[in-house]
Amino acid sequence: MIRLHDVSKSYRTHLGQREVLRGLNATFAPGEKVGILGRNGAGKTTLLRVIAGVELPSTGRVERRMTVSWPLGFAGAMHYNMTGADNARFIARIYAKPVAETVDFVREFADLGAYFRLPVKTYSSGMIIRLGFALSLAVDFDCYLVDEAIAVGDSRFAARYHAALTERQARSALLLVSHIPDVVRSYCSSGAILDNGRLTRYDDLDEAIAIYQAA
Amino acid sequence: MSDATIPAEGLGAAFRTQLRVIGALTLRELSARFGKENLGYLWLFGEPALLGSAIGALHLVTGHTMPGGLDPAFFMVTGYIMFYLLRGVINRAPGVIYGSQSLLYHRCITLFDIILAKDVLETAATMFVMALFLGGCWLILGKRPAHIEIVMWSMLLMGLFAHAVCLLLAAGSIYTEVFERVTHLFTYLTMPFTGCFYMAFWLPTDLQRVALWNPTLHIFEMMRYGLYGLSVPTQFDQPYVIGWIVALNLLGMAALRAARRHLVI
Repeated sequence: MIRLHDVSKSYRTHLGQREVLRGLNATFAPGEKVGILGRNGAGKTTLLRVIAGVELPSTGRVERRMTVSWPLGFAGAMHYNMTGADNARFIARIYAKPVAETVDFVREFADLGAYFRLPVKTYSSGMIIRLGFALSLAVDFDCYLVDEAIAVGDSRFAARYHAALTERQARSALLLVSHIPDVVRSYCSSGAILDNGRLTRYDDLDEAIAIYQAA
Repeated sequence: MSDATIPAEGLGAAFRTQLRVIGALTLRELSARFGKENLGYLWLFGEPALLGSAIGALHLVTGHTMPGGLDPAFFMVTGYIMFYLLRGVINRAPGVIYGSQSLLYHRCITLFDIILAKDVLETAATMFVMALFLGGCWLILGKRPAHIEIVMWSMLLMGLFAHAVCLLLAAGSIYTEVFERVTHLFTYLTMPFTGCFYMAFWLPTDLQRVALWNPTLHIFEMMRYGLYGLSVPTQFDQPYVIGWIVALNLLGMAALRAARRHLVI
């Protein structure tokens, strides 16, 4: 379970303090699949970063009672000068996973061919996303944080990723942020809307989508 | 920290995680800097070697001698290797966080781990260069250091001192770019004062007292005691140096922890 206790996040800018998240309180239970909808600039990425612990909240705190992935998306988490295989080795070491098995799994799942032995900086953006997902599945988190990016991988990979997540249905939770209702619908069972720095949960995903589209 | 990494984690488990992470980071750093596609390790030896030859040649040409009848090339090279450690660690400090942002996507990796891994490697590499240099002098010139273990101990202290300064500069770099601009300038300007190219006994007594406020001079003096033994007068106060190291490290860790909250990735 993940609990947000009065989580606020603001950034200093040239225009003064900008408050992106305003006093969020929420609970995400194990196995829950929550689609978080929000317009561009609503603070979706910031929310995932704070939940992941990449950035710390300005006030309030995040309580994690399960293992939580890093935010999966376009960037981050990988070292661009290292090969895919070396990244897999590094991830295995820091998350205390068996190194050889992890490398095999990532090679298999990411399906990068010869590129697996080349530095990540030579990859296309789709390949980087595939590697990122494969690395995160290799660690086997209780909760996955996904930032829109699913839509970018090609459909073959999207299907595999969907299958892998469904296979873990019972144990893995998913927090998916997106501005596209269709993406949310294909992965999630409940919804939330992030608007003006506040988060509203809806048990009924269709209700969340209807309200999001009406706004 | 209240936002714990993994549920139900005791202090012992947290410590084991940190050790594991620092180990993985050190390995990664090792292959990045000294891997087969990188000639970083060549410069580690190349720079002190070049300087040593240049200084040696200069003294040979001018016929200058050093106080206490010391061999200038040997004196300069050993001093420079130690300075190389101090400079290497400190100069990298303002850019270390920016260069490691992708690592911070993994919650189990802290800023402290990243910096410690780099500094451990830098210290170990410089100690290795020193050991090779002293070993070479012993084999070729028959010059044996008086107390090799004190030379190595002094390098470890220098590593710890530089690491503390690095923590402080890295924390500062989260708030302002100023450190990025002035750190290199600062290390070059302070080079003559660190103690790498002089000894306390060369100075008049009044000046010695002032110079010995500087903790790095104590560390250099300690190294020279290790190199020359009692054949050269040295002055150092180990508790004074360790006091500096402990105080600066505690300050640095606190500053880094406070600054982490303001870091935007």
